[in-house]
Amino acid sequence: MGKKEQFLKRKLEKSAEESDEPDSGAESVENEELLNVVNGEDADSSDSDGEIEESDEDLNDSDDEIEESDEDDSNTTDEESDENELENEENAAEDTANPARDEYSSHDTSDEEDIRTTVGNIPMNWYDDFKHLGYDWDGNQIIKPESGDLLDTFLKRMEDPDFWRTVKDPQTGQNVVLSDADIDLIKRLKANQIPDATFDEYAPWIEWFTSEVMKTPLRKFPEHKRSFLPSKSDAKKVSKLVHALKMGWIKTRAEAEKLRAKKEPEFYMLWATDDQAEDMRRIHKHIPAPKRLLPGHAESYNPPPEYLFDEKELKQWNKHKNAPWKRKLHFVPQKFESLRHVPAYPRYIKERFLRCLDLYLCPRGIKMKLNIEPEALVPKLPSPKDLQPFPTTLSIEYKGHGDMVRTISTDKIGQYLVSGSDDGTIKLWEVNTGRCLKTIDTGGVVRSVEWCPNPALSLILVAASNRVLLINPHLGDTLITSKTDSVLETAPQSDAIVSERIKTTVEWSESIDPKEYTQGVRIALKHFKEVAQVTWHGKGDYFATVMPDGLNRSVLISQISRRRSQIPFTKSKGLVQCVLFHPTKPCLFVATQRHVRIYDLVKQTLMKKLLTNSKWISTMAIHPGGDNLLVGTYDRKMLWFDLDLSTKPYQTLRLHGTAVRGVAFHKRYPLFASGSDDKSLIVCHGMVYNDLLKNPLIVPLKRLQDHETNNDFGIFGVLFHPLQPWVFSSGADGTIKLYSN
Amino acid sequence: MESSESQLQIRLVTKQECFAVPDVPLAVPGSIEHNSLNELINQLIKENKSDFLKPKEFDFLVLGELLRVPLLEHLKEHNISTEIAIDVEYIERTPAPEPQDSLLHDDWVSGLHCVDKWILTGCYDYSVNIWTTHGKLVTSQKEHKNIVKKVAWINQTNPSQGFISVSHDLTGLLWQWEPGTDQIKPQVVLKGHEKGIDSVGVSPNCLKIATGGWDTNLKIWSSSFESDDEPAHKKVRGDKNLITRTPIHTLKGHKETITSTSWIDNHVICTVSMDHTIKFWDAELCGIKNEIVGQKAFLDSSWSSLSNTLLACSADRHIRLYDPRSSEGSVVKTTFTSHTLWVSSIEWSKYDEHLFMSGGYDSGVKLWDSRSPKAPLYNLEGHQGQVLAVDWSNNKYLVSGGCDNSVHIFRNNYVF
Repeated sequence: MGKKEQFLKRKLEKSAEESDEPDSGAESVENEELLNVVNGEDADSSDSDGEIEESDEDLNDSDDEIEESDEDDSNTTDEESDENELENEENAAEDTANPARDEYSSHDTSDEEDIRTTVGNIPMNWYDDFKHLGYDWDGNQIIKPESGDLLDTFLKRMEDPDFWRTVKDPQTGQNVVLSDADIDLIKRLKANQIPDATFDEYAPWIEWFTSEVMKTPLRKFPEHKRSFLPSKSDAKKVSKLVHALKMGWIKTRAEAEKLRAKKEPEFYMLWATDDQAEDMRRIHKHIPAPKRLLPGHAESYNPPPEYLFDEKELKQWNKHKNAPWKRKLHFVPQKFESLRHVPAYPRYIKERFLRCLDLYLCPRGIKMKLNIEPEALVPKLPSPKDLQPFPTTLSIEYKGHGDMVRTISTDKIGQYLVSGSDDGTIKLWEVNTGRCLKTIDTGGVVRSVEWCPNPALSLILVAASNRVLLINPHLGDTLITSKTDSVLETAPQSDAIVSERIKTTVEWSESIDPKEYTQGVRIALKHFKEVAQVTWHGKGDYFATVMPDGLNRSVLISQISRRRSQIPFTKSKGLVQCVLFHPTKPCLFVATQRHVRIYDLVKQTLMKKLLTNSKWISTMAIHPGGDNLLVGTYDRKMLWFDLDLSTKPYQTLRLHGTAVRGVAFHKRYPLFASGSDDKSLIVCHGMVYNDLLKNPLIVPLKRLQDHETNNDFGIFGVLFHPLQPWVFSSGADGTIKLYSN
Repeated sequence: MESSESQLQIRLVTKQECFAVPDVPLAVPGSIEHNSLNELINQLIKENKSDFLKPKEFDFLVLGELLRVPLLEHLKEHNISTEIAIDVEYIERTPAPEPQDSLLHDDWVSGLHCVDKWILTGCYDYSVNIWTTHGKLVTSQKEHKNIVKKVAWINQTNPSQGFISVSHDLTGLLWQWEPGTDQIKPQVVLKGHEKGIDSVGVSPNCLKIATGGWDTNLKIWSSSFESDDEPAHKKVRGDKNLITRTPIHTLKGHKETITSTSWIDNHVICTVSMDHTIKFWDAELCGIKNEIVGQKAFLDSSWSSLSNTLLACSADRHIRLYDPRSSEGSVVKTTFTSHTLWVSSIEWSKYDEHLFMSGGYDSGVKLWDSRSPKAPLYNLEGHQGQVLAVDWSNNKYLVSGGCDNSVHIFRNNYVF
């Protein structure tokens, strides 16, 4: 309740108590109207009350606001004076019935509305038939005042000058004479004016919140930092909305309207059909369980008698005790008087358990299983057709050796071929025609020959039993051959002391038997054990010899220019099978039975140890690039080592049926070949990419099987032509074969 | 009905007037072969000409290729419709060469050249021999210190101008010979190659010699026997009064052995090499004129001035016909396949633009018609080892030599 309203009411009460205030009678017509107003208010008091309340409250609110926001002195004085004025009026009226008046001068509560009667806010016409009008605070009846008849009223009107301003208080039934202030208030209300006459409607407007930007802020503290930052939560909401708009989940009003306009009447199935799988969010591609039959009459608690089992049926039912799936019904229909008599289902727990078991063991979802054929996992190798050229056909046979040809080698340009055989000879062949140009008897089983890689020297290194011979073949450029002879003629004088250990291992002899000298033998090194392999260093000055039985003296590195030998290893690491120089770096590969060790010759350290995982290494070859090593083993395998990659084989090729005895790389083409005791020479494509990220590509290309076996031996030596994509193979049958593309 | 289905309409045409028959389409069974066609044509000629008494052998050209299989098959191979009338050209068949003689050497024969009735051979026993075509050894001399690879008469018609032999002893020798006598004498030694010489070619005007070998260089020499007007200090006269000669030009370009050198005219040399290329050199400007890149290492080549095409054989079973003038499409015009091993030598005939002979490591010598790529005309049997050299310089004789130490001479029965 607003302040003003209360005030008005109190006025009414006052006037009711002492209606002896003078007034002019000139305002009779207005007064009539006023009366109506007051009486009308009486008729539906609640409604009009509310309205007044609202407006009052508005005013009140504004007052409060002003009070709160502004604590100006002048304003408070105004208010106070206002109240004082009111108080004075009230004091004049000598109001005693409102003791709480002072207490609630500024804030009154609705509790105080009812002052006299305690009946509450009820329609007062309920008391029409009673002589009292509710109860006062002490519980005594408030007796309706005597209401005169029409004559009395008339007389009153005639006599009482305040009649026009006398109204009846519905609460008390007393007549109340409205004061001048009340009349004024009512008049103002009727004229839609502000009830408070003192309110200056046209007071100058104070712009509390001005649109003008002030130079100094109104408030002392600066704006909070947060107020400058765009709200994150708002941004989140907006982005959500934008996303939803983008995805079409929500529509703008215009779009929605357009859609609605476009929309045709939709028809849809009221019930989902049984034949379609229902979508299940949790289980992908869910298979719905088969629908159970609807319960029939037999399942009823009170089935018709024809559904109840007779004896025969019961017997039948019992007969299938061990095969319950043969029963027509899975239960015996039972009849009960009423639903109340139906007992608890005894198999409830069991059945739930079985159902859970069923769900667990047979989840009804289609499991996506990848069915990959093992073949599909094998990388697709390019067709050999696309990897031309490679040797395919037997072209020339070099016949002449009387025994197994263990080893072959070509000169730098592929004009001549040298071969060493068990018959104690080496033969020099013209590659293109197969002509044997020379035969040199060495007097021992030739296990290894190699043409000197130095183009300025015409030399062949031959390992014949325990001797290593340096032979000048006298082929090709006469200038070079004669120069080679002259270079080798005089041994350089050196005062270096040869240690005893080396002396007992190898003996350099310059004085060659004249018969051998005419054959071309220039230097002979006599070793203390059988020499199994000789190999040149890439520059053609050093060569390494291998004596597998030599224990810790099994590897020997010799230098021609100084006529000197060294034993690089003091300790025996195992039975040395073969050694190999790195094509570019100063590295030595030493293959023992199981491992390949790589030594740095400059630092004299072990660089790497390759684990072959095989029982017995037979031979090895290095890729001309120097990063890939091919190892052939007696246990039928060929191992490709990528030296940059790992110490384990990059690939293990099991192409041969028996021991692999020869492997070779081509110097120019991406080819490698292997020969084995199963008579077959296998040519493979072995592409090494410059890109370090790309692994070598290995594709077996061709199996060439032309050699005969002899004593269970097949192919010994495998060698590529230095320039052409041709491969030579030397076999136990005493022939060398050339395969060309 | 079947016979009528395979009936083919043919029209027999010829360029030889004396064997002309009326130009009427004939219906022949599709399975007809050249033997029956031959009988047919003989019959037709006999009907037309009374003076045609002795039956002749003819070969039949259908669509530019010699008929070697039944006609229908031949057409199917070429994807030609059997509905239309087919022109069948008939030509006189190349008569089969007859074996005449065999010249037995001491070692492999690697070089051969025949002029007039003189056969010049180079041997692996370092010797150079001159034989008559009747199998008589005129003279033999071992002047070289290594295997003789190729020999060539300086003049294609006159053997009295001497000959050249090249060897793996890095030198070539210019020999002088008085025809009929056994006096042969090396006059000039060609020194300059660093490795063995594998090929030699004499220019058509007989003034220049080109050699190529394992040092990959092509060298051009003068062929005169006189000590040229070179500065005096270069005229080194070794023992036996040999003039040492250095090359006029050294042409570098090949990466591997030059296996064959032939002059196309007086200025252009064609070389084939094992580096898979055929190069045409300008002998005047000393530069490469043209280059053909092949797939295999070439072993020999032969240039035909009649058809202006080059035959080259490589380290496989095939002989390839190159047309260096063609710029578009494949430079390989035809591939001739019949040998089973490498084809080591090849030689065009000098009188017919279609005929050539080849020798291979399968010990076969074959006479080919360039219009019959799948089968040779004749197999000249006799060799028991690899054939290293063939020669057809003398039109009358097809000569071949090889690893069985012998030179086989076949007489050409063609009537000139």
